[in-house]
Amino acid sequence: MKFTQMLLASAAIAAAAIPTATFAQTEDARIALSNNYAGNSWRQAMLTSWETVTAPAVDEGIVAAADAFTTAENQATEQAAQIQNLILQGYDAIVVNAASPTALNGAVREACDAGVTVVSFDGVVTEPCAWRIAVDFQQMGRDQVAYLAQRLPDGGNLLEIRGLAGVFVDDEIHAGITAGVEANSQFDVVGSVNGDWAQDVAQRAVAGLLPSLPEIDGVVTQGGDGYGAAQAIEAAGRDIPIIIMGNRQDEMAWWRDQRDANGYETISLSIAPGVSTLAFWVAQQILAGEEVPQDLVVPFLTVTQDTLDEALETTPEGGVANVEYSLEDAQAVIAAAQ
Amino acid sequence: MTALSRMPWIWSFLAAGIVWVITLMFTGGASIVGLTQATLTFAAFSVIVGTGQMFVITLGPGNIDLSIPATMTLAGTVALKLMGGDSGLIVPGFLVAIAIGLGVGVANYALIKLLRIPPIIATLAMSFIIQSAAIWSNRGLRIRPPEILGDFAIGSVLGVPNVAILALVVTVLAYVALEKSLYGRWILAIGQNIRAARMAGIPVDGVRCGTYVLCAVLASLGGYFLASFSGGAALNMGAEYLLMSIAVVVIGGTSVAGGDSNVPGIWGASLFMFLVVSMLNTYGFDAGFRMIMTGLIIIGVIVTAGGRTVRF
Repeated sequence: MKFTQMLLASAAIAAAAIPTATFAQTEDARIALSNNYAGNSWRQAMLTSWETVTAPAVDEGIVAAADAFTTAENQATEQAAQIQNLILQGYDAIVVNAASPTALNGAVREACDAGVTVVSFDGVVTEPCAWRIAVDFQQMGRDQVAYLAQRLPDGGNLLEIRGLAGVFVDDEIHAGITAGVEANSQFDVVGSVNGDWAQDVAQRAVAGLLPSLPEIDGVVTQGGDGYGAAQAIEAAGRDIPIIIMGNRQDEMAWWRDQRDANGYETISLSIAPGVSTLAFWVAQQILAGEEVPQDLVVPFLTVTQDTLDEALETTPEGGVANVEYSLEDAQAVIAAAQ
Repeated sequence: MTALSRMPWIWSFLAAGIVWVITLMFTGGASIVGLTQATLTFAAFSVIVGTGQMFVITLGPGNIDLSIPATMTLAGTVALKLMGGDSGLIVPGFLVAIAIGLGVGVANYALIKLLRIPPIIATLAMSFIIQSAAIWSNRGLRIRPPEILGDFAIGSVLGVPNVAILALVVTVLAYVALEKSLYGRWILAIGQNIRAARMAGIPVDGVRCGTYVLCAVLASLGGYFLASFSGGAALNMGAEYLLMSIAVVVIGGTSVAGGDSNVPGIWGASLFMFLVVSMLNTYGFDAGFRMIMTGLIIIGVIVTAGGRTVRF
């Protein structure tokens, strides 16, 4: 009896000690964020989330430092140089949103060789020694067509708005949409433009193409471009098709106004900028000696007709729908991958 | 041929016309109203900022303003933030945008003159400062324009978009300033030979400073209306207009070497630049092919229009 009690007590102490143990090992650790671009609302939200989550973590002594660095010109060479500087400055881990999946591999390899943990997210790197927190962008494309197939069983004409030409994410989402359209042959992609994930570029491109297009039943997008498409279509005096949105506040506000006016229904999906905070906790866990698989998948954030009002309430005007991750969320994602 | 060589802008209009017809052929002409209105609307923004760039380029070799996109972004974000959707603040918002242009122009020329930095570096450095100021001022939040202003920016009179009318006014004023005023004579003289101009008693520094200010003010004007047109300012809203502002100047028949500018050509080139992308989108080419074609067509137009340089 006494022995069992002792056993239970020590087990309880051990269990209670686990979280503090994972913190204690990282209290001297310094983590850097290497970011390649800051010039849009998504990236601004990503940096704000990083600040919101890491500042208390530093205050509580979970890590010694969590500094964010952004390059000015969105160039892979510039970011490679930045990573080399971060190695020299002695950071224990570098969290990277990469300008290119392959061009940073040399610098990432150097970091690994110097004993630095590298965790890439959103823009991931292919170098095997780094960790990757990726979104299944192809799934994002397939889900859009699947939603349209459910709304429009008879199919119809689709307009596809793509991202920035030559970027990995654009190719992936496009591949998913293409696969979705192949699986649902009642749909035809009758036009395609590059909107560069920017509202004004999408508006400009759609306005130029629209006069030549037949009736459009659905618009598949990549995020940041839905409101621009809506404005171009409205300006041309056409009926508004089902436009898939990308979680930006302006897109969701327009959707709400349309819903209130005429019962408009659609869906919105994108990767949450707060994924930077997930990468932070994953890096912390790796430094704490936890076993973490090299490839992790983070679900994308979906806003539906039912969650629209809630999402708008928590999204700042002009911002992006967001979730910030806690240590427990990160542990759950790691556990799911194992 | 001599008549043509005095009108180098004719080539850009010709090119725009050809591309317009080819695009219309896709729908058998059904898209004529929609395409023309869209083209006039979007060309208007290129015209406004391109005109400013043209004055700077006219100042002679090495003169260029790379801070146009950042100036547009800062003017758009600050003005829309100040107005906050309140129609009563449209005029103060406008004045603030113009004041930003004035400030940027003076700062640009101060870097060039006082610190003797080449314009290409000075305006690039300035653009980083301005862009950071835009990020700092509201972290990329998109605020809607006042309703009256938004309606004006997307509206039209007798089928002609308001922004196109605005751009036309800018063009006419620029034409008068360049062809009929002393200021126009001065910048042409400076662009052709700055030393000769100085010896002739032209206030070279004052004219150059005024030209950089004019360019920045037109950029902020463009940013103010572009932000109102597209339902709010975005941090990357000016990015398109860096190369665009230079391309419309060059395609429009203005000499890159300075001292020889061409106001009507800016319109032809702006219409052309929008129509080329629309045409290639309409015929459904993929992005890589579209970029190659855009490049080849631009080279083609410049080579054709460049026949006039033979006289050197």
